[in-house]
Amino acid sequence: MNWLRELARRLRMLIHRRQFDADLEEEMRLHLELRQQEHLESGTGADDARAAAQRRFGNPAYLKEESHIAWGWEWFEHLVEDVRYGLRMLRQSPGFTSVAVLTLALGIGANTTIFSIVEAVLLRPLPFPEPDRVVQVLQTPKGLPYVSVSGEDYFDWESENHTLEGSSITTWTQNYNASGAGEPETVAIVRTEANFFSVLGADPALGRGFAPGEDQMGKDHVAVLSYGFWQRHFGGSADALGKTVELNYQPYTVVGILPRWFNYPQATDIWIPIDKTVQGTSARGSYSYRVIGRLKHGVTIEQAQSDLSTIAASLAQLYPDTNRDNGVRVVSLKSRLTQNSRPRLLLLLAAVALVLLVACANVANLLLARAVRREREMALRASLGASKTRILRQLLTESILLSLAGAALGLAGASWCMSLAQSTTWLPIPRENPIGLNTTVLIFTVAVSVLVGVLFGLAPALEASRVNLAEALKESTRSVASASRWRRALRDGLVIAEIAISLSLLVGAGLLLRSFARMRSADIGVHAENVLTAAMALPNTKYRTLPERRAFYDQLLAHVQGLPGIEDVALAQTLPLEGDHTWGSYPEGASDWRAASVPETVNFVTPDYFRLLGIPFQAGRNFTPQEFNRALSVSEEFADLLRKNPNPGIAEHREFACSAILSRAAAQALWPNQNPIGKVFVSGVIPVEVIGVVGDVKQTDIRDAAGPQAYFPLTQELNNWFYPERIVVKTKMAPESAASAIRTSVQQLDSSLSVFSVRTMQQVVAEDMQDTSLQTALLCIFATLALVLAAVGVYGVMSYLVTQRTREIGVRMALGAQPRHVLSLLMGHAARLSGIGVAIGVAMALTLARLMSSLLFGVAPTDALTFLVVVVFLILVTLLACYIPTRRAMRVDPIIALRYE
Amino acid sequence: MHRDEIPPGTLYLLILKTLARSGEMHGYEIANSIQRMSDDVLQVEEGSLYPALQRMLIKGWVTATWGTTAGNRRARYYQLTAAGRKQLTVERSEFERVVGAITRVIEAV
Repeated sequence: MNWLRELARRLRMLIHRRQFDADLEEEMRLHLELRQQEHLESGTGADDARAAAQRRFGNPAYLKEESHIAWGWEWFEHLVEDVRYGLRMLRQSPGFTSVAVLTLALGIGANTTIFSIVEAVLLRPLPFPEPDRVVQVLQTPKGLPYVSVSGEDYFDWESENHTLEGSSITTWTQNYNASGAGEPETVAIVRTEANFFSVLGADPALGRGFAPGEDQMGKDHVAVLSYGFWQRHFGGSADALGKTVELNYQPYTVVGILPRWFNYPQATDIWIPIDKTVQGTSARGSYSYRVIGRLKHGVTIEQAQSDLSTIAASLAQLYPDTNRDNGVRVVSLKSRLTQNSRPRLLLLLAAVALVLLVACANVANLLLARAVRREREMALRASLGASKTRILRQLLTESILLSLAGAALGLAGASWCMSLAQSTTWLPIPRENPIGLNTTVLIFTVAVSVLVGVLFGLAPALEASRVNLAEALKESTRSVASASRWRRALRDGLVIAEIAISLSLLVGAGLLLRSFARMRSADIGVHAENVLTAAMALPNTKYRTLPERRAFYDQLLAHVQGLPGIEDVALAQTLPLEGDHTWGSYPEGASDWRAASVPETVNFVTPDYFRLLGIPFQAGRNFTPQEFNRALSVSEEFADLLRKNPNPGIAEHREFACSAILSRAAAQALWPNQNPIGKVFVSGVIPVEVIGVVGDVKQTDIRDAAGPQAYFPLTQELNNWFYPERIVVKTKMAPESAASAIRTSVQQLDSSLSVFSVRTMQQVVAEDMQDTSLQTALLCIFATLALVLAAVGVYGVMSYLVTQRTREIGVRMALGAQPRHVLSLLMGHAARLSGIGVAIGVAMALTLARLMSSLLFGVAPTDALTFLVVVVFLILVTLLACYIPTRRAMRVDPIIALRYE
Repeated sequence: MHRDEIPPGTLYLLILKTLARSGEMHGYEIANSIQRMSDDVLQVEEGSLYPALQRMLIKGWVTATWGTTAGNRRARYYQLTAAGRKQLTVERSEFERVVGAITRVIEAV
């Protein structure tokens, strides 16, 4: 505690330092006077007495200084002085200051923005208590890396595991019709087991979560609302508890409101209980659920993994048909949520860091040029007794002041960008944590700006503090300017670094641009022009039977077809690029059905779908009305069978035979190089006859090759109310203009239905590329920024060099040198610098490109064209940046040049 | 008269001891007292008392209060604290250890 009291005393001295100084002065004066008095009394003359007293006392100024140092605040006082002086110096040259601050603000602001996203997404733990214990469990059938989970398998894990404190099965987000009050609205619903909130460790802010047992039929009409939904619909009033919301025409009682921060699964409006029966979830071999769990205290993910693997192995023995080769995978929820965004965010962070480096190099260059002008000032300070470290500290204080000013300005811009990033919902990043300015981000910004201040300030400051007093104090600036070879090397090094860094960023941006172009021109397999899509969710509570649904579809199709400007209309279960519904199929009569099994994306469509989207028939024909009706009865009979036996086994049920159309890739996978028409494959347990083959359509991702796909008549959809219906229309006019007409048609048929997700097909495609387009846009901005900064830097350095050599140029011209000789002399230097910069930059770019190869599409990381274009472009820019000042020098009259001092 | 500089590192000891014996004193009195007690042999460069006193204030060995001298002048009087008393024994034993060591060296045969 002693040091604390000592610190308190020191602080008191700092605060009252004027008083302390005065006190010291007074007691020293008293001492001198008393001594003088003593001498006077012993008979010495007045002058001698004072001299004697002073001799015995020593140097008062020095002693006062010593006492002052004893307080231990010397550094602080120097800092205050340095800051004051620094501010004055920066105010004196507003041009230099504003350019430097602006440059740094751009660099630091961009870094702060990207870091705030990285912090929210990657660094900050999930906002649950002990987030490290929260895991997601996935299944790995047939060697697939992971899929969703089968309900029946899950219930076995849940009851038999020893490593999870709790686990909860949830559906994927579904679209429900919320009605009853005002405009019908489509809301995002997740159904969960009753313990969902306790597994996450999140308590509702108001009311309660689900009570045990509420995840059973009959008791499940309770709802927990998101903060946002509560605000929108109940104005944030506590009266909401106990009120009823109508979801798909069923009343649900509001029992809880979640806190504002709760956002898992992302963008959910309402949580309602799942129906924990096999029908409510799914049978073995069908994977459509999400499972989260909380590890017991002290249990590692590996232990949970091996525990669940043991259970999976015993399930495989019990149910070989569905569970052979079917493992589980336990991953931390956080790593699962961030696995896609991690490489993208890290690439962006690396890119902005590089931009900041270029900005630093630029400011360092400015400081170097300024150091020359301040050489005499430094020499003067040195000759007045300032130590070298003191001058160094003074200069570093100035550069840190610059970077802090840049940081302040950058933060203002960054916080605007952050609120933009937080409010735009379409940014493809996980949103469990809000993005914003917080302590971590602030510390990052301040740390970066101090680091940056030292980084760009140190070399120029070291250089400036190496003053040669004798030289500097002489009037001539020429001798000084030419003295420092070291300084020239430093300047050249900075230019080289700027060229190299911008080159690597430009290559990165170029590669992404090429990927983006490749994606835009990639053939998805459909004609996306003049196509509008919309979604509606026909609630199975109102449209209970398939004939009811079918009747609605028929009415809707007829109605929309009759609208003006509509060329074609079709319905489908999923749109191209958005398919996520996969079934396993094998050719009828295969000796080993497992080995022959092909995973197919399935889609359920009306016959016009193919014509509308321009998917060509390569063999066979489209569905007939008879086949459509047959599909309807198959669906009904099969749903009946499932009610009696939820797990019908792998027997091929001949009685359900129906028809399907395959994509070319599916036909090839099932029967390589044979005519597939008329052949039969087994999908799930139903035999299906192939009646046609159509062109491949990319069903999941524009980056992937088109996979096998099967199309069934829309009414085959069974009880799969996971998927809203997609209305697809081809228009004769701009597709957006059909939106309101479609909305009206749907509501004329059923005023409680809402139409949502209205997008043109081109928007659907753009959304699929959103990750890449955003990334490309950002990287292009960063690369352009770096390029502009580098060009300005090169220009600045070259014009400075040229100014310095004006006299030399004058002499050469006066002695008869041809302008082109002088030109090549100066440009040669620039060419050498850009040559070295380009060589280093290419090496850097190769590394960067290899790191980002997973983000590229259709372009090799070593793409020669990109490299060539960027290199040529960059060399041209640097030569131009150098040519302008050089030309100016060439026009100089030798007489004036010689006088130039 | 020849006066010796005080041995380095002993200034604190001298100040502490002086204050311990006489209670309150201002700087000029401390300087005089040291000189007097050493029979005019030890002479402090008088000004250097003040940085030393500042350091001792910070360490908490002494406290200072403003008072008036006999000649009716404002002066800062220094006083030993408990911590200062403790420090005196520390400094003293340290000094004796060094002096003892030096004595042993110069008296060795």
